[in-house]
Amino acid sequence: MRAFQMQCRAEIIRVTRNRYFVFWSLLMPILLYYIFTNVVNTHASDQTAWQAHYLMSMTAFSVMGSSIMTLGIRMVQERTQGWSAFIRITPLSDRIYFAAQMAGQSFIHLLSITIIFIAGALINGVSLTALEWLLSGLWILIGSFPFLALGTLIGLMKKVETAAGVSNVLYMVLAVAGGMWIPLEVMPKTMQTIGKWLPSYNFGNGAWEIVHDGTPNWNNILILIAYSALFMLLSKYIRRKQEAV
Amino acid sequence: MNDVVCLRNVTKSFHQRLVVDDVSFSLKAGEVVAILGPNGAGKTTTISMILGLIKPTDGAVLLFNRQPHEKQVRERIGTMLQEVSVIPGLKVREILELIRSYYAQPLSTDELINLTGLTDQDLITRAEKLSGGQKRRLSFALALAGNPELIIFDEPTVGMDISSRNRFWETVRMLAAQGKSIIFSTHYLQEADDAAGRILLFNEGKIVADGTPEEIKARISKQTVSFIIDPDVSLEKLYLHDEIKDIYRKNNRVYVQSDHTDRILEFIFQEKIGARDILVERGKLDDAFQQLTSSNKEAI
Repeated sequence: MRAFQMQCRAEIIRVTRNRYFVFWSLLMPILLYYIFTNVVNTHASDQTAWQAHYLMSMTAFSVMGSSIMTLGIRMVQERTQGWSAFIRITPLSDRIYFAAQMAGQSFIHLLSITIIFIAGALINGVSLTALEWLLSGLWILIGSFPFLALGTLIGLMKKVETAAGVSNVLYMVLAVAGGMWIPLEVMPKTMQTIGKWLPSYNFGNGAWEIVHDGTPNWNNILILIAYSALFMLLSKYIRRKQEAV
Repeated sequence: MNDVVCLRNVTKSFHQRLVVDDVSFSLKAGEVVAILGPNGAGKTTTISMILGLIKPTDGAVLLFNRQPHEKQVRERIGTMLQEVSVIPGLKVREILELIRSYYAQPLSTDELINLTGLTDQDLITRAEKLSGGQKRRLSFALALAGNPELIIFDEPTVGMDISSRNRFWETVRMLAAQGKSIIFSTHYLQEADDAAGRILLFNEGKIVADGTPEEIKARISKQTVSFIIDPDVSLEKLYLHDEIKDIYRKNNRVYVQSDHTDRILEFIFQEKIGARDILVERGKLDDAFQQLTSSNKEAI
């Protein structure tokens, strides 16, 4: 149990010391939030609703980013630098190691969500009911699972450079095409059709529904589950292939 | 069956290339064993199999009569891998605390610092900012963190300067004196000779010799009998003896190479070939070892 706690602590310390994390997962979303709700006139009919909507977009954007990038790149780093091999000869079990990584990662997400929510409340005075804050936060925390699975998939890559490149591109494409930067409704028809099938849109939409007095749609949940299963199966398949060599 | 390590007919091949070829040996508690051999002799592969990092293609590896990957085994071993393994984003002290928490009975942080020579400055440095030597010291401390009974080092002194090297071997000797079993790989004969009580000489995936450093040195250093002889005298008679490994002429002298120089002297006198100014010499150890290394390189 002590090993688990220490491992969680170590994972959390490492992430918060990571400059990329602080920039991409905290500063960048808050900065974008400020710009798109205060500097650029988005001609939104309902400013208050837009401010709450975009706060969810940016929080989801942040958590999606740290799921894909932080986790994946770190996995590649640990493997290429021999750390994984060293851990394997210690008594720490794979299960505890993995559980601690996930727990540490979830804590980080909780931290990001809290910080960005507070930033939203401070910058624009976004005011939601306590239940809405709680549910939207929970949705973003739990809904990030497919992106964590995608992160572990990226974690199977051989080189840190490839993993960083690929995860960056995926992150940006998913964010833009999933309507996290600009709402899907103002995009061309084909983009909308594609976007609705992306995990990022379904992830964001759950939170958008919650702050617009609704609940996440069933198809949001189903699509996210389907993506999780797909990524996990893929990573299992690839790992087996890598081990066979 | 109180072997700390036991390998039975262990073979490993990668893509049909045989890297470790039918290796068997065992290690008693308290032994310090060097796996000595040139690059590509199968040292690292053998160590990886002992650690359970890779599976043998054939044969069995047992540590404390158990499979290498079992938790009870992991509690009792410590290792320093060739690839210096550090975890980025954490300070040295944090890493030590983390790894110590994995073990039931770890050494205290102070003991680890004393044993490995980590400085106060090292302790507050983040792993990714450490120099090569500092990283080595950290890996050494991590190897000892669980107070292991069996310590395994793969090429431990690569990248160490002379003073850290001396300090490292001093600590290893101290650990050996405490009764710990130690296996390390090296391609320096000198290191194996200084630190180990037993050497396993590896070449091309096989154990070519297993014995005390003295025995190994006797094995690999060539002994020659040389003498001056009338150039007209034929040496054919000598060629008939199996004991002779090689005969060559250099600077008017004839050199006869053999493991049993006494027998060669007997032949010389029996055959009455008229040899004079006879010398018995033992070749330089390093040269012999170097030869072993270079012949292997040619094979690759």
